Amino acid sequence: MNGLTFFRLLAGVNARIIRRNILALREKSFLMVSVITLFVVGYWFAGYAVFYMGFHRLAEVPGLQVIVLDRMLYLFFAFLFLMLVFSNMIIGYSTLFKSQETQWMLTLPVRSLDVFRWKLLETTLLASWAFLFLSAPLMAAYGNARQVSPSFYLKVFLLFVPFTIIPAALGSIGILTVTRYLHRRVFKCALFGISAVGIVCGVAFLKPMQAEDLEPAQMVASLQQLLHHSHMAVQPMLPSYWVASSMIAWGEGSTGQGVFYFLVLLSNAMMAMLLCVTLSRHLYYDGWSRNHGQGDFQLGVPLLDKEINLPRMALLERIMNLWPRLDHATRALMIKDIRVFWRDTSQWSQFVIFFGLLGLYVLNLRSVAYDWNNEYWASFVSFLNLGASSMTLATLTTRFVFPQFSLEGKRLWMVGMVPYGLKRVLLEKFWLSSVCSAAITVPLMLTSSWMLRIPGWLTLLFGSTVAVMSFGLCGIAVGIGALFPNFSSGSTANRRGDNPARIVSGFGGTFCFILSLVYIMLCVGSEVLPMYSSFAANGFTDRGQPWGLVFSWIFVSLLSLAATAIPMSLALKKVESLEI
Amino acid sequence: MIVMEHLTKSYGGLMAVNDLSLNIPQGQFFAFLGPNGAGKTTTIKLLAGLLKPTSGRALIGGHDIQKDPVEARRILSFIPDMPFLYDKLEPMEFMLFVGQLYGMERAEVARASDELFDVFGLDEVRHQIIENLSHGTRQRLVIASALLHQPKVIIIDEPMVGLDPRSARVVKNVLKERSRAGVTVFLSTHILHIAEELADQVGILNRGRLIAVGTIDELREVSGEKGELEDAFLALTRAQEETTAKTP
Repeated sequence: MNGLTFFRLLAGVNARIIRRNILALREKSFLMVSVITLFVVGYWFAGYAVFYMGFHRLAEVPGLQVIVLDRMLYLFFAFLFLMLVFSNMIIGYSTLFKSQETQWMLTLPVRSLDVFRWKLLETTLLASWAFLFLSAPLMAAYGNARQVSPSFYLKVFLLFVPFTIIPAALGSIGILTVTRYLHRRVFKCALFGISAVGIVCGVAFLKPMQAEDLEPAQMVASLQQLLHHSHMAVQPMLPSYWVASSMIAWGEGSTGQGVFYFLVLLSNAMMAMLLCVTLSRHLYYDGWSRNHGQGDFQLGVPLLDKEINLPRMALLERIMNLWPRLDHATRALMIKDIRVFWRDTSQWSQFVIFFGLLGLYVLNLRSVAYDWNNEYWASFVSFLNLGASSMTLATLTTRFVFPQFSLEGKRLWMVGMVPYGLKRVLLEKFWLSSVCSAAITVPLMLTSSWMLRIPGWLTLLFGSTVAVMSFGLCGIAVGIGALFPNFSSGSTANRRGDNPARIVSGFGGTFCFILSLVYIMLCVGSEVLPMYSSFAANGFTDRGQPWGLVFSWIFVSLLSLAATAIPMSLALKKVESLEI
Repeated sequence: MIVMEHLTKSYGGLMAVNDLSLNIPQGQFFAFLGPNGAGKTTTIKLLAGLLKPTSGRALIGGHDIQKDPVEARRILSFIPDMPFLYDKLEPMEFMLFVGQLYGMERAEVARASDELFDVFGLDEVRHQIIENLSHGTRQRLVIASALLHQPKVIIIDEPMVGLDPRSARVVKNVLKERSRAGVTVFLSTHILHIAEELADQVGILNRGRLIAVGTIDELREVSGEKGELEDAFLALTRAQEETTAKTP
């Protein structure tokens, strides 16, 4: 069978599956579908409004808007490009090497190259669809600020096609190479080595604001600082540079230059794809075979062939034993969850990347030194930091905690049949994830507050807020995860159930994320309000005595208790009567 | 029809399949037995072309599965122990999709599907969504879809898992009929009485090595056990374990 017929048949089947999935929405709760639809539309409108206001604020300073707007575009696409490469690598590993559908396809009378091509297309779409969704308000606001013609948006869409192809090809080349030549163990070791170096470098750079940073900055100096810090994004060899340059040119009406950068992008996308497909001829089948048969793979390098077990599992048990009041069943469940997480490449690799981004965030906090002596500005940044940390935590809980119950899948009967029952399993997942989340976010909050030179009492407030929010967000994630599980069914290993990223992208995952965002908005909003009122009462020059923060903190604690108790109690009730 | 020539697969220090040579002629029903971890699944994956051998080669209908995989798979049906199905399709849609993947015309697929649905008792569920079907029904559907393109070679791993006695009987009958009609069946199983009931030849694999091959009677003779195949199987694998233990 030729590749084209194979693609046509698969496209037909996938279209039918998508149609069925859409029709299945009718069976879901009307309220929930409405909430999610409202959220999507609300995100577009709110995102557009924020960017629109920002861009028009910039327009108040002559000449500033164009410079900042364009630089922002370069920065946006540079980060997006990086994220798309990682995203393609992670999704590509699951799709190309771990999916049961792929194994089945490789037994069909089609070339493995055709299977690779189809799976590459699937990976690209899965890894990039959110990019269109998320960037739509920014593009609309940019177009509005630049007063472009409607055809601009069509051109932008055209630009996005080659722009998503390049990271897809690069990500796939990366994962093909790693799978073909590196054993999982070596890859894990290399990734942790790189992370360790990153942490050491990060700690070396980590220091609080210096006196010179705290000087009230002038507009020109701030602008220079911004341009200096974002210089890396304006490298002409980056695909993000080509896409941004083309957009800017089309926005300005310079069709020739716009077309030039589009063609540069397109030719590079085609070249990257050609390189990827050519390499796949040599690497894909070998890599697949090696990946599925590397039980006791030896590299012949003594140091690398040694068993690497980080963290040592015996050590893990010893650590758990330090907690004497922990009963045996909960201890066993916790050890099992940590082990399963550690051994699932698609889980921990995303976790490492996630922490890399967090590290970047903390390191970049030094760049927000604009007019630091202004108390209003200082407070504004510190609350932004609280919001950013909470959002990060919500992403973490939705991505890693929400799928935990679904991931039990076919094994659920095993843990459910022990005398302690599924309620204990659910509670264990809640406590384990809450403690781990708090262990991550509280130090993050304290470090970032220290770097921003936030007063001690405010640091304490933020630290304790984030601590209680860790429990609230994990309560939502574990509770909604059990209320809307996404199991693999029967013996055929449903394509969604064995992939955490796919579990999250379902209905329950979206609902969990929306609830988390609403919860964060209520928590952060309730603390911003008394601070803002206090500033307003003092003419925005002095923080005053924002005693209302005490009540806000009590409100956040009560809200967190509700956010934990309501979904958890509903979930506990559900699992009690769950037919496994 | 299935030829293995010095087929070897090693995972570092572990020899999962060790110098396996076998020639299974057309129309033979070959049962592949062995204890857990003997290397049966690895052998099957090597035959299906899912794993690359460390050395040696496997031929399906004269086609090297590594060098000429498309031609080899055209005449092959591989049914793994954990088969794949599209949960959101209906059985008839799945059959149509699989048939077309093997280059069959729609009308031809429809006709063959009707026959297979009738044989496997799938008529009632042909328009139900697969995710709503029971494990046994899915298993029957997988086997039916594997027979759709009239393969010359069927490689099947633990086919009876999850099947009720009636369905198991149907599967056994269909496989035996196909074998009599000239299809080569390579069946891997733990259930010895299936091998006893269906197989023309039996191969026993232990620790990656083919320790015995022959008819049931020949295996009984070699093992010195006159009773059931189970006794012969245990005697042969025990003997190899003892020999391995004595080897320095």
